[in-house]
Formats: sequence, C-alpha cells, structure tokens
Amino acid sequence: MLSMRNKTTKVYIIIIPIVFLIIISLMALYSISLHQNMQFYSSSFFKQLIFLIFGIIALIVMFNIPIKLYHKYSIIIYILATIAIIVPSFISSSISANRWIHIGSIGVQPSEYAKWISIIFLARYLSDRNIKMDNMLSFTIPILIILLPAFIVFSQPDLGTAIIMIAPILPILFWVKARPYHLFILIAPIFSILTAFHNISFTLWGIVLVVIILLSKPKIWEGVTVFFGNIFLGLFAPVIWNILHPYQQKRILTLFNPELDPLGAAYQIIQSQTAIGSGGLFGKGWMLGTQTQLKFLPVQETDFILSVIGEEFGFIAILAIFLLYAFIIYKIIQFAYIVKDRFTSIILIGIASILLAQVFVNSAMTVGLIPVKGLPLPFISYGGSFLVSSFMMIGIVLNFASHWSD
Amino acid sequence: MLKTSNETSIRRYITLNVLVLIIFSILITKFFQLQVVRHNQYKEKANINSIRAESLHAPRGSILDRNGEIIVDNAPTYVLIALPNVIGNIDSTISIISQLLNCDSTLLSENYKKYYYGYFTPVRLIKDLTFEQISRLEEHKLDLPGIDYKQIQERHYASNMNGSHFLGYVVEVDRINIKNISSSNEYNYGDLIGWSGLEKSYEGYLRDQKGVEYKAVDAYGRIIGEIAGRNRIVPKPGKDLVTTIDSELQRFIEDLMVGKRGCVIVGEPTTGEILSFVNSPNYSPDLFTGATLSDDWNQILNDPDKPLLNRITHGLYPPGSTIKMIALAYILEHKVISPDKQFYCSGKYRFGNRTFKCWNEAGHGYVNLDKALIQSCNVYFFNAIQNIPLNDWAEFCRQFGFGGKTGIDLPSESFGNVPDEKYFNLRYGEKGWTQGLKLNIAIGQGETLVTPIQLLTYINLFFTNGFTKQPHFIESSRVKNVKIENISKNTWDRLNGLLFQIVNDKKGTGQLANPHIDGLKVAGKTGTAENPHGEPHALFIGYAVKDDIKRSFVILLENVGHGGDEAAPIAREILSYIYEDFNMENNNKNVINAE
Repeated sequence: MLSMRNKTTKVYIIIIPIVFLIIISLMALYSISLHQNMQFYSSSFFKQLIFLIFGIIALIVMFNIPIKLYHKYSIIIYILATIAIIVPSFISSSISANRWIHIGSIGVQPSEYAKWISIIFLARYLSDRNIKMDNMLSFTIPILIILLPAFIVFSQPDLGTAIIMIAPILPILFWVKARPYHLFILIAPIFSILTAFHNISFTLWGIVLVVIILLSKPKIWEGVTVFFGNIFLGLFAPVIWNILHPYQQKRILTLFNPELDPLGAAYQIIQSQTAIGSGGLFGKGWMLGTQTQLKFLPVQETDFILSVIGEEFGFIAILAIFLLYAFIIYKIIQFAYIVKDRFTSIILIGIASILLAQVFVNSAMTVGLIPVKGLPLPFISYGGSFLVSSFMMIGIVLNFASHWSD
Repeated sequence: MLKTSNETSIRRYITLNVLVLIIFSILITKFFQLQVVRHNQYKEKANINSIRAESLHAPRGSILDRNGEIIVDNAPTYVLIALPNVIGNIDSTISIISQLLNCDSTLLSENYKKYYYGYFTPVRLIKDLTFEQISRLEEHKLDLPGIDYKQIQERHYASNMNGSHFLGYVVEVDRINIKNISSSNEYNYGDLIGWSGLEKSYEGYLRDQKGVEYKAVDAYGRIIGEIAGRNRIVPKPGKDLVTTIDSELQRFIEDLMVGKRGCVIVGEPTTGEILSFVNSPNYSPDLFTGATLSDDWNQILNDPDKPLLNRITHGLYPPGSTIKMIALAYILEHKVISPDKQFYCSGKYRFGNRTFKCWNEAGHGYVNLDKALIQSCNVYFFNAIQNIPLNDWAEFCRQFGFGGKTGIDLPSESFGNVPDEKYFNLRYGEKGWTQGLKLNIAIGQGETLVTPIQLLTYINLFFTNGFTKQPHFIESSRVKNVKIENISKNTWDRLNGLLFQIVNDKKGTGQLANPHIDGLKVAGKTGTAENPHGEPHALFIGYAVKDDIKRSFVILLENVGHGGDEAAPIAREILSYIYEDFNMENNNKNVINAE
C-alpha cells in the first residue's frame, strides 16, 4: 500500500459516477416537472440543464487554474468570500432570502462557495510551515479560520450549511497528525451539553469520558481538568437553559429539531419516510410515485429529491446512489493520500469531507435520522449555485489529482 | 511541491476510509429498513393517506343586456369523473358504468381518452347526470373504486334570445384544445374557457379566479379529511359583463328573421353601441353545452345555409348601391363635376364594346346628382366614376372603414376588399384591366366586398357627420373614435338630405322603410348586390331619429331580390317596434303623471 504514492492512478474515473448521478437527477426532476404545471422552459428540469452547462464550464475553469495560484490567492479569496456571505444580510430585508446575492436576475448563494474557499485558506495555513500538532493550542487558528464564515452563515440562519462548513475541520486536523485524543477533547463538550438533559445518557457519557481519558494516559492534572470541565458543563447546561426565556428556548429547539414545528418539518419528515418506504425494493415506477405526483412531498426538487428517487425507483436506486457517492469519496481520499504536496492533500481531504457531510446530512434528514433541514444533495438536487459549486470542487479534485507528483 | 510534503500515514488513510464505510453502512441500513423491511407498512400508509388537490371554481361572470336582464348565467350540472390511479381495469369499469347508468360505452371510453391528462388527474367521463343516475352511482360506490361524480357550473342561457354569434360559447379545456391556448399554464383540464364571441373577447373579465382545496383521500378516493397546514384558497367569481344589447329587440328581430337568410344589426349611431346583432339562420347557444351528439353537429356543419357563419363580421358581400354615397361625397368635395350636371339614362350604358345596365330598364331620363342617389340611377354613376381616379376612390372607401377592421369587440372579423390599381395590377396584370372595371365598382358590384358590420360604421358616419365610435357590445375606454375630417359639413348635409329623400320622396327607392310615425325621421339607402348564387342580395342601411332616440341599422337578406322591395320593409317593422314601443312607454308615463 505504501508504494501507492509512487504509482499513478486513474484520475478521470470519478467523472463516471458523477455522470450517473446527473442522469438520475434529471430523471427525478423530469418526473417532478410533470405536476409543476408550468411551461417547459420554466420547469426545474430545463433550468437544471442550463445550470449543468454553467457547471461544466466552471469545472473546466477550476481544472485549468495552476495550483500555485490557488496557493497564492487563497487569503484574498477567503476574505472576499467572507465579505460576500455577510453582504446578503445587509442588502436584504427578508430573513428567508438572506443567503442570496442577486446580480440582475441571477441569484448567487455565496455560502455555497465559501465552503471550499475556507478549506483552501486553511490548507495554506497548515502547509506553509511544518506545524506540529502536538498540543491543543495549535488547533486555535485552524478552528478560527473555519468558524468565522460558518458563524456568519449560522446566524443568517442557515444551520445546515454551517454544519457542512464546520464538518471538514476534524478530518483535516486528523489528516495533519493531530492526536485523536485531542480531537476527542474538542468535541467532548458538545456531547456533555447534549446528554445533560437525560440522566441515563449523561451517566453513560461520563463513563465513556473516564474510559477514553484513562486509555490515552494524559498528565494527571490534564485528565482531571478535562473530566470535571465536561461534567460541570453538563451540570450547568440545564441551569443556563432554565434562565432563558421560553421563546428563546423554543427558538433554539426548533433550530435543532424542526419537528417541533408541527406544520412544518414533522409533516415533511413523515411524508418523506412514507414516500421512501412505500417505494419498496424496485419503486413504483418513473413518474408514478403517488407521494411525489400528488405533491405530498415537500421541496421535492431540492431537499427531498432523494425521497422522490426512493419512491419511484426503489431501494435498488438508493443503494446504487450510495455506492456511487462512496466511490467518489473513496477516490478523493485516495488522491489525498497519493499527492506529494501537503497543501493539495489537505484540500482534497476537505472536499471529501464536505461531500460526505452533505450526502450524510441530506439522506439522514430524508429518513428522519437527524433533524436538520434545508440541505441539498450533491449532483442530484436542483439549484444553480449548488450545482456549480459542486462541479467546481470536482474541477479542483481533477486538477490536483492529475498533478499528484508535482 | 509548494512548501511541505504530504506525510500522512497509511493508518490515518485507512481510518478515514473505514469512517466513510461506516457512514454509508448506516445510511444503507436505514434505507433498507424503510424500503424493504417496513415496506408494507409504508405502502399502506401511502395508499390510505393520499392527498388530493381539488380546484375550486367560483361562477363565471354573467352576461347582461343593456337593461340588466340576464342573457347568460350559470347552472349546476353533475359530471361523472374517473381517477386513473385508483381504477384497476378501465375497460371493465366502463362497461359496468355503461350498464349501470344506461349510457353509451364508446362515448365513455372516447371521453376517457380525450380528457386523460395524467395518472393522477381526474378524468371527466360524462356530463349532465340525472338524479336517478347519481342515486345508482351512490348505491354501487364501493364496487367502483375511482369513480365519482361532482357538481360543476355550466353556462345557462337565461333569455329567450339566441345571440349565439356574438355571445360565443365556452369549452372545457382538454388535451387537444390546450395547444391553441396562449396562456395555457393558467388552465387545467376541465376548466372552462371562452372559445368564441364575447366569451372569448372578455375571457379575462368573465373568468373566475380559481381556488384550491387539499383533501386527504383514501385508496377509494373517499375524502377522509382536510389537510392541516394546507390553506384553502378561496376562489373568486368572475365579473358580470353588461352589454349594449337590447334583448327584447334582439328577440323580436330574431323572430322576424326566422326562415330568412341574412343578417340585421341595430345600433346607436353616435356611440357605436350595438343593440341587436342577428344572423339568420341561427343556432342555439346550448349547442356547445351538454353532450352534443355528433349527428346534430354534422347536420349543422353540413347545412347549406351555414348557420355557424357569423355573417355580420365574416360574411363578404358586394355593397351594391349602398356604396354610391362615396362617389357623390368625392364629387361634392373635389368638384370633379358639377352637382348640377345631368347625364341621360336610357336604362343602359355602352362602354367600349360592353353594355352596362341600370336597374330601371325603362331609364331615368336626365339625372343630376340628387336624383341619381334618390332613384339610385346606375348610369349616372357609370359616367361620374370616370372622373374619379381609382386610387382616390379606394382611399375614400377606406376612410369610411371599408377594407379594414371596424374594431368590434369580437375575437375576429373580416377585412373585406377595396380594389385599387395595385390590386387590379396584381390580379389581372399591369395592362390586363380596363376602366370598365371601375364602372362596376361605382355601383358596388364586382370586386368590392364589405361586411355588414362595416356598413354599420359607414351609415353611422353619415348620421354623425363623420364622427362616430367603433361598433361595440361593451362600453369601455378601448372603444376608439372613428373620424372623417376631410369632408365638409355642406357635403354631409346634402348627402343626409338625399338619404332622407330616398325614404320620403315619392320616387325614392327606400319608401317601404318608412313606418310613418309622427316625429320620426327615417333616412337610408337601398342596395341590391348581384351575386353568382342566384337572386341578388337585398340590402338596406339607414338611421332613424325621434326625440333623443337614435338608431342606425343594416339589413341584408341573401338571394331575395331588390333592396327597396325586400330589405326596406324589414326596416319598417323594426322601426315600428322600436318607436311605437317608446310611444307606448311615454304614453304610459303621461297617464301616470296625469293621475
């Protein structure tokens, strides 16, 4: 396996699964367009075809930009992207339209691009000097780089995209040799807060915490601090929670668990599960899904397009889609391993993480595994900014992977 | 390499891949659980818990006459509908229904094909279900999954008049006719759309604003409840259309025209309002509602009298002598010959090697301009036209509205034809025609073709001395003025005087039009349009005024003979009806006042 680094690998093979995903996407969008009751040229099917052209152009552009330029301009692009995601908050009065910049009649969603732009900047920071990731202080700047744009997006509020932006931080730190124990300490407080409201869970969490600390044999005072820090955080969380006004509590709860909004997400999740479940092994047939065609399914062309596919094409199609995604992500991680340069390696890991997070969050949402809502599925969901951004990431992957020996 | 090399260990590489494997395993397991393990449970749920979006309709606007009497409104009817996604075998279902309801199964399956839009859209099978049929359906509802009935609104013709040529009709949007609808995305199958006449012209006004209602239905299409969180959109009814039609008068003239072929228009000459619009033969406006049997259809389509033809806007006729005023107006305005100049009429006129006849074969003797119009002497016009350049004459005709649209508020109308030099050059070649063609044109025969509605604007222009409005059914700002500015008041006065004499002079050709009512002034012009289909068409156009009540009219009877003999008496009957009616009303008022 070690010798892999000296071998070339077939780079362009990742285009094949993407083509299949696009075909599935267009079939689903065509089926949806049947009941959209509008002119063909304004249907999401036709518009997605146009977006595809832009996507392919963007892919070719990203593929041809020299790696040196990615490195050189990463800071400026990062700053510009950060400004761009703030701009919509200022020029738009409506809360829901907060993520878009309109240039003429074309709306652009800057946060879609900020996802991987901040990765490039982070990669530069981590690769310019040979930083030793041997203590947790060295995490500070990488985390800040990622959190700054993610926080702006979170406040807009777009929890889904914020999660996708944060997702690459752990894999990247892991990739540059951060100690697993340190990464565990990083995420431990989140578990402490979440489990604090449930006695049994909190007890179990406490046991897990002790075991992991003992296994990684830190200095005594360090281990004690981590343990009690987390326990106190867990104990205090309900206290702080009770200080909040009920409306604040409700706002936070619905942010993390939209099912509490009875007319919104609970209804959507139930319909989505019904669509997927009733599709069975082979589906109800193309354009024949009752949940889809009777408009029972909400936001079919974006968030719940996987439910359309699950209903009309069945588990076979879902399995195929997951295998295609797994293959793409596996190949990108493989590229990240074989490239000789750390800068490009980190970016590749970041992109793999973004894609994985997106596929996971979207699919888990459609079956009710996790409550977050409002995230599209790469290469399949309808949407111009999202499609173009996904194609740009693939352009970067192809670019870096084909220059693996540079 | 940029700055530092990639030194990630194989262990970390494998760890990440294992993580990817775990994540996809979780997802695949969850989907497997939903789609394969618990499939039956969700299948049941999807079947039971289906939503149906139902369009809600409000009534289409009514059409009223000028006195507020309803001409067209709506009446409920029951239709049989089928849900393709619920019905198992459509053929067997149709045969059950046809036995149950005692109706033709081929009609049912034809309609099923015609109105089939999509797997999930209800298909309309038949209309006008009787109460008995509905009861039988209710009894057998459980045997017929996917078959239902519902109430819809249908056009109802409330008044006794026909008026189908201007009212037009509505059709249901289906998969064939939707291709001809420009704003097709606003319509669903089964919606009503104005397809001709005022129903089409004022579609945007009459049409209701659709609403929608979401209902949860079970696998048999039975409604099991409302859907929470899906708001019902309330439909809004269409607006009522108040027309200028006088339905009493319309009815009277329709009765008068029974058995005759032709048309009658009665209008208000100053405002352009149309009070009556009668084509004969006519057809019932109900023809397009309910189930039209194809036999009835074929009978109407193949009728040699063409009841579907809107003669008033699409019938093209030679204007005959009614056009003679144009030549006189030109002579009076441009002084090409003196109005006093006399031509001798012997009953015929030789031009080159052809002989042209006057209608009065005995001849009119010496004829000046005034006598020429009053007695409608052709020979005078054969002589006079030779002093008028053809293009000038054509231009004058166009000013009077011939050869163009009148702007009537119906979806379409014919232009007619006003020949000029260019036309003749195209038709016969540059050297292929002689001045002889002009002679026929001067008396309204030959290649000049007009529509009756153009004749109405033409006579309105005389009444108003060249300032009227486009003919219309609906008062609105869209009605434009029609003006002629290059004819002097003297000319108008003189010609109007002559039109008056035509009806009132002992030798006038239009005497039979005069009902001789005190204080009623009637003026008009007869016309006799030669045509290749037999007897000439009889024409009479004119106007009448008494007190403030002004009416203009165009009467055309196909293939009956001379205008003065055949069309003018119709004018008399109509004028008697209009003005004696008013007299009676006035008398009644006087009586009431006296008491």
